This record gives sequence, C-alpha cells and structure tokens, in this order.
Amino acid sequence: MPSVGNILSGLAGDHATGSLRLGKAGVIYLTDGRVTYAESAAAPRLEDLLAARRGISAHAVRQARQAASRQQPGSRPSGGERLVAQGLLTRGELEFCVLSTVLDAAYFLLRATGHRPRFRRGERHWLGPQWYFDATGLLRECERRRAQLEQTWPSAELDTLPVVPLARIGAQRVVLSSLQWEVLVGADSTATPAELARKLGRPAYSVLLAVRQLASSGLLRVPEPGPAEVLGAPETPEALEAPAPPDPLPRRTRGATEIPAAGTGSSETREWLPRANGDPSDVNLLIRLRNALEAMT
Amino acid sequence: MLGIEDCLTEVMAIPGALDAILIDQTSGTAVATGGVSRHADVERSAAGLSETLRATLDGLVLTSPGGTVRINDMIITTDGGHHLLRPLETPFDGPLVVYVRLDLERSNLALARHRLQALSGRLMST
Repeated sequence: MPSVGNILSGLAGDHATGSLRLGKAGVIYLTDGRVTYAESAAAPRLEDLLAARRGISAHAVRQARQAASRQQPGSRPSGGERLVAQGLLTRGELEFCVLSTVLDAAYFLLRATGHRPRFRRGERHWLGPQWYFDATGLLRECERRRAQLEQTWPSAELDTLPVVPLARIGAQRVVLSSLQWEVLVGADSTATPAELARKLGRPAYSVLLAVRQLASSGLLRVPEPGPAEVLGAPETPEALEAPAPPDPLPRRTRGATEIPAAGTGSSETREWLPRANGDPSDVNLLIRLRNALEAMT
Repeated sequence: MLGIEDCLTEVMAIPGALDAILIDQTSGTAVATGGVSRHADVERSAAGLSETLRATLDGLVLTSPGGTVRINDMIITTDGGHHLLRPLETPFDGPLVVYVRLDLERSNLALARHRLQALSGRLMST
C-alpha cells in the first residue's frame, strides 16, 4: 500500500482539490494540489486550541461552521473570514492557528497506519483556505520534526504513557521553558502527552517535544524495562511492585569453615535497597527524624 | 488587522530591511520569508536562528536575578549588517520569531525596533 506521503505527492502533482480521508486517523484537505487543512485524532483540533487559548466558545465556532456549510463551497465569506469578521480573533491569529494545527496534525497523519485512504474530490473544509502548504515542504517538515524528537530523547516509550514528574530529582537547579512548565503543572500522573496537549490547548507535537526534553533532563519517571513493557501493556500497579527481595544475608554453606565476606551473598541487594549516596536532603531528613524521636521521649 | 503575509510586507518596509524570515520557535520552521535570495537555505537558517534564541535564553536565565528571563528582542551586528530577532507571543504555540536583516549603512536600529514592536501588537491581539 502506498504511504500517505506518496498519495499526497500524487494528489499535489494532479493539482487535486478535495479531502483525503485516512479512516479514524484524520483528514487532509487539499486546494488545487496544496494542503490547506489537516485534522488528526492524535492532535488537538483547531476548535480545541481556540477554546483553550482564546476562550472562543464551541458555540461561536459551530455557528460560523454552519453558516459556512450552508453556502456554496468556495464562495465568500469563508468560515474563517466569518470568525475574523465577528472580532473573535485577528487574521494573523487565525492564520497562525491554522498553520500550527496543520503542521501538528500532518506530523501524526503521515505516520498513521492501518487505515484505507480515500480521496473525496471537491470536498472542502468549512474554514476555507487560510494557509497553503506545498506537499513536499510539508513532508520535509514532518521528517525534520521526527529527527528533532529523535535527537532530543531517542526513545518513544514515554510518548503514549502518562506523564509522571519525579517527586524528587538529583539536580540542584533546573531551567525550564514556559511550555515545559505548563506540562509539569498540568501533569496529573494519568494524562498522556496527547491528553495534556488537549487540556493545555497546545499542539501535540510541542507537548511531545517538551515531554522528551523533560525526560532527557531526568525530570520524569521512566518505566523500568520489564515484561509489561515488552508486551506493550499499560503499566499496572502490580507491574510496579518490587520483586521479592533476595536474601540479603550471606549464606554459609554446609561444612564450610570460612565465613563468606559480607556482601558476597547479596550482589543483587543494591538493586532493591535504596542507594546510600550522601545526598544532603537524606541526611537532613534523618537528623529531623532523630530530633523528632528525641522530642517524644 | 494583519495577516502573516502582510506582517512580512510591513517588516520588509522597514528602512534598510534586506530580508526577513518568520520562524515558528517551537519547531524552528520557516513560516514565511521576504526578500530572501534563492541561494539562501531558509530552512536551515530558520532552524539555526531559533536555536540561537533558545541558547541565548538558556545562557541569560542563569545570570538573571530571579532565574527567569523574557527576551524582547535580540540584536546581532555583523560586518554585513544588523540582524534583529523579535519573538512575538502567540496564543497557540510557542512564540513566532521575526528575523530581519538590516543594511549596516542605510538602517536605523532604533526605528526598526520600534516598528517591530508596533507590528507585534497588530498581528496578535494578545
């Protein structure tokens, strides 16, 4: 089966106008061979961004959409022009919003698999063309974004898991970008990057990038590679439980005369015992505990 | 009320402006260009410039009292001219960065900064 990228290049070559439907994954709209809109199930929709960032109600968007769909396709004013005319947002904001939505959705759509692409000639998106992307440029940009993620943190394991910030970190000082801050504040240990993106009203790719940056700075919990991970199963509390601790004490073998040196029978001990690392916060905690115990007597 | 292309036209109307790029800071993508010669590699230029801004923020944040920093604009002067970078806050994604290269002899830095500042208010309402 040809890839989405190949189909898109073919349609661009034909100067096609219509919608490329990729099953549940989403839709790509083309106008005269150029991409003018895209929607992915994995990324927040334009409506979500408008609602979360600009407080534009779903009702206002729906009204503009219905008004636009009542008229002849391609006639003026388009749905997008209606939104601007109502003073809900500026032309620059609308264009930039479409720009981020399309780049974001395209990144996920071009990697989507397991669908049967269908092209509906002549179908247009209600917003009307706000920004034109040529297909090769879009494909190149998606490839660049993929490389950027890869470079930040080469593992995709955190992309679909809930974002869990570490309660305590090894570093003494951390510098965050504003988006990383939003991700940390928004993370509730259950939301995945895609859910966070919808909640924050930020493009899914940007949140994914921020999550990988946080992971590479060692600020997020990274799942231990284990059987649950290999199967691709979501983490369960059982999977998180420590394995039965090995016997920490050295064993004397029957008939032996020498006592094994301390530690030899417990090479695995270090894996489950907390590591002694002279962390001043640990020492401070111990001192405070001792003081509290002394105060009780 | 300005669109992205109008914004670029206005940037190019700044006295001494040679070329301009609008960059999406999060991904380092060139969103739109004005006056750039065909030989210039806009994609890599945009990626490099957004990286420059990011690196500068990282460098400044540790020297700033309070540990937070917000860049209003950044001026780089080379043998060939002035280079102005201005992040415009957008309500949707990371900032949109306006980059403009100005002729060393014919431009007025103060005027260019002023014009960019006025422009950002007209492109985005926030």
